[in-house]
Amino acid sequence: MDDKQRFAEVVLPHVDDALALARWLTGNRADADDVVQEACIRAFRAISSVGDANPRAWLLAVVRNTAFTWIAKNRPKVMVTTDDEGTFERAGLEMVESQASPETTLIEKTDSENLHHAIAALPLSYREVLVLREIEELSYQQIAKALSIPIGTVMSRLARARSLLIQRIGMAGTGKAGVA
Amino acid sequence: MIKPTSWSSREESLLLLNAYIDDELDAASALDVERRLESDAALKAEHDRLRQLRSALESQIAQEHASDDLRRRIAQIADSPGAVVVPLRSSFETRDGWRRLAMAAALAAFVAGAGTYGILRQDPVSNDVATIVADHRRALLAATPYDVASSDRHTVKPWFDSKLALSPQVVDLASSGFPLAGGRIEILDGKAVPVLVYQRRAHVISVVAVPRTVSAVSTSPSLVETRDGYSVIRWRGRDFDYFSVSDIAESELSEFVARWRDAAIER
Repeated sequence: MDDKQRFAEVVLPHVDDALALARWLTGNRADADDVVQEACIRAFRAISSVGDANPRAWLLAVVRNTAFTWIAKNRPKVMVTTDDEGTFERAGLEMVESQASPETTLIEKTDSENLHHAIAALPLSYREVLVLREIEELSYQQIAKALSIPIGTVMSRLARARSLLIQRIGMAGTGKAGVA
Repeated sequence: MIKPTSWSSREESLLLLNAYIDDELDAASALDVERRLESDAALKAEHDRLRQLRSALESQIAQEHASDDLRRRIAQIADSPGAVVVPLRSSFETRDGWRRLAMAAALAAFVAGAGTYGILRQDPVSNDVATIVADHRRALLAATPYDVASSDRHTVKPWFDSKLALSPQVVDLASSGFPLAGGRIEILDGKAVPVLVYQRRAHVISVVAVPRTVSAVSTSPSLVETRDGYSVIRWRGRDFDYFSVSDIAESELSEFVARWRDAAIER
């Protein structure tokens, strides 16, 4: 099979998924288009090296790395705060708090706008794990491989990302209830 | 599959609860979580919230669909054998980095097509420059672009001494607006070489010092090139060839190099 055929089978079917990931990482559609196009160029260059195991997870890893290169260049400040220790600590505290308050009904009623804002507000390192799991539906193993981090780190970032989301949606819901 | 060792902390039980919801636990561990959920009301409440979140994400997040234009551009990537040349969308003109990348690809296509591969080989330093730019970019992605953080050259220089038994000149340019930030080590052509890290506002300048076997005069002019949007200036110093790389404007980097060389000669 030549490279062009391989590209058509491995990359083209997953362009929408690639775009979704790039969109969540960069924050807007125009930048996501650029990142996806650049990622596909990189993917084509490496097309002969891709195995049959899971080409979609492989392409998403390429998109993620391309997006990070893009972010480092265009939004260096985002990168600086990504692994900020303080973020981890705050997230830990919020997780404890969220157990005490029953926001379940608020989560149920949240609208798509609230949810988008809550996801977009997550620190990048949490957001990428959440998006790879919830939207791209990769396994823990695949996420660990795509991000080159241990599975334990995938688990803790995912748990914290979800806690932060629940917390934020709960707060947005409370705010609205207060106005009404 | 993930096997829980114990339920030592609240934090750990939350991790396992998440893994349970994601269907990542083996059967025995999943059963263990289910038993816990029956007896632990707080855990059950958290479980319900996580389930709600999942269904909210499923129902509220719309799928992305690539535009026909993007699909066409991507399909064309595979159409140009040997190199990648893609048509640029109009707003690319404002995006310097991407345009340069595309121009590099176009140049590569020209070179490959014309059979003039030889012109790339004239300068053995060219490969080094690519490596140096790649390393600089990697360093920008890391938590910090240096292994030793210090604005004091009397800290950075001995650090290189102890790590590499190499001692490049380390000059302090804080008064010129290029404070020293630290140093790191890079592998270039299989050899560990020292890299000085300077700052210019929010930008990082890497100065790679490559030991030279033949000693030469240090007054040769500096050479400038750009790669993937990064400027690289190289010059010969005392016992070392220096490469500075940064994303600041080329004129600013030239000023940095001029001041660096002045300071190095004075000492």
